Amino acid sequence: MSEIKSGRIKLRSKYIFLAEKLGLGSAFALSVLLGVLFFTLVLFYLRASDNLRYLSFGSRGLFAFLQSFPYALVLAFIVMIFVAGVIIKKSGAFYHKPFGRIAVGLIGLILIVGVALTFTNIAEHIERRAFDGSNPDGMLFRPLFGAGFSKHDGGLAGKIVDISGKYIEVQTPFEVVKVDLSKLEEIPKGEIKKGVFIVAIGERKDNIFEPVNIQVMEGDDMPMIQRGVDRRFGGSAQGIPQAGSVGFCLAHCAQTGGDKIFCEKTCINN
Amino acid sequence: MYYSSMTLSVNLSDEQLVIEIRERDKELYGEIIRRYQTKLTHYLRKFIRNGDELEDVLQEVFIKAYRNLFDFNADKRFSPWIYRIAHNEALNHIKKYKRESFSLDDQEWEIMDESIDLKKDIDNNILKKRIEDGLASIKDKYREPLILFLLEQKSYEEISEILRLPRNTVGTLVMRGKKILREYLVKHSYGK
Repeated sequence: MSEIKSGRIKLRSKYIFLAEKLGLGSAFALSVLLGVLFFTLVLFYLRASDNLRYLSFGSRGLFAFLQSFPYALVLAFIVMIFVAGVIIKKSGAFYHKPFGRIAVGLIGLILIVGVALTFTNIAEHIERRAFDGSNPDGMLFRPLFGAGFSKHDGGLAGKIVDISGKYIEVQTPFEVVKVDLSKLEEIPKGEIKKGVFIVAIGERKDNIFEPVNIQVMEGDDMPMIQRGVDRRFGGSAQGIPQAGSVGFCLAHCAQTGGDKIFCEKTCINN
Repeated sequence: MYYSSMTLSVNLSDEQLVIEIRERDKELYGEIIRRYQTKLTHYLRKFIRNGDELEDVLQEVFIKAYRNLFDFNADKRFSPWIYRIAHNEALNHIKKYKRESFSLDDQEWEIMDESIDLKKDIDNNILKKRIEDGLASIKDKYREPLILFLLEQKSYEEISEILRLPRNTVGTLVMRGKKILREYLVKHSYGK
C-alpha cells in the first residue's frame, strides 16, 4: 500500500485497455473476414479450375486431383479459423457458452457467408487482380492459386491449339504441352479439335504428356483455366485483355486459327 | 479528510469502491486490501504452503489488481475478478517453481469429508492426509472448481467467472471432481 501511496505503482491508463480491446476485436474481425474470403476462394477454385474435373475419371484421376488441390488456400482458411478461435479463447469474451458451441457457430457462420459470397464475382475479381502484375495487393493472393497454374505430372487441362497426327498441342496456363494420343485407353468424350478445352489424366515423359483418358470440356467448365491460358498466350504488351474486349477477342480469334484480317474484321466491327 | 473518506468507504460495495479509487481517491485501495487479504490468503494457501512465498504472491495479486483496475468492468462483481487474478498468479507460481502440492486447514478437510460423504471409521489424521493427496492427484480442471465450491464457498456463477468456464460446465466438473476424489479415498483408505 505504501508503494501505491508513494505513486511508485500507478494505475494503467484506461486507454491502454481500450486499445487492447479494440486491437483484439479488430484482429478477430479480420481473421473471420479472411476466413470467409479464403473459403469463398476455395469454393471458387474447385468450381472454376480443373481440380474437381479429374475426379470424373474415377480413381485414376485421384492423383491429378491431389496434385491440383488448393492446399495453400485450404491451409490459409484453417489458419484463419484457428486464429479466430484462439482470440475467442484468449479474450474470454464468450466464456459463458461452451467453446465447442461457439466454434461450431463461428465455423457455420464463415461457411454460410463464404457460400453466399460465391454468388458474387469477388473471387473472380481477386483472381484477376492476383495475376495482373500491376496490383501489389492482388499479388499477395497469387501463391494461393499456385496449384491451379502449375505443372502437374498426372493431369493436364488446357486448350488445343494444334493437331498433327497422333500428337496435339495444348496450351495450359503454364506452358504449351505436346500430347501423345497413342496411349489413350478410352475414346475421348467429345470431339478433339482446335480451340476446345480438354482435361486429361496420364503421365509426363520427357516433356510429352501421354494421356490415358481425355474429356472435352464445354466452354465455361473451367473458366479459371481458360483465363489462365488467355493471360499467358492471349495477353498484349499493355496488359491482359479482359473478356469481352477487342484485345481479348483478337487473341482468342488468333488462337482458334482465324487469320489476321478475318479477326480484325470480326472483332473490331462487333 | 482521510478519516472521513476511509469511514465512507466501509459502507461502499466493492464495485463502488473501485470506481472511487479510479476516479477520486487511490488511497481507498487500502480498504480493498483489508477486505480481501484474509480471503485471498486462505485461497492461495491451497496452492502455496510456504508462508513467505504466499506473502509474495498475495502482494503481487494486489499490485496487479491495482494496476489493472481500469480493466475491471464495474457492472460486474469485483470478487470473481480479483479471485481470477489470484488464481492465475497461484498457477504461475506453481508453474515457475514446479511445485505441485496441496494443503488443507484443520476445518477444511472436515468440510471435504462431509461433502464427499465418506464413512467416519478412518483415522482423522490419515483421512486429512489422504484428502490432501487425493486433491493433489486429481486433474486441475476438477480440483480448481472443487476447491472454490467446497472450501471458498463460491457459487457456480462466481466460479464460472473466476475460471472463465460455462456455468453448467462448472457444475459438471464439481460433481465429477467429488466422484473422483471419493473413489481415490475409498481406494487408498480401504485398499491398504
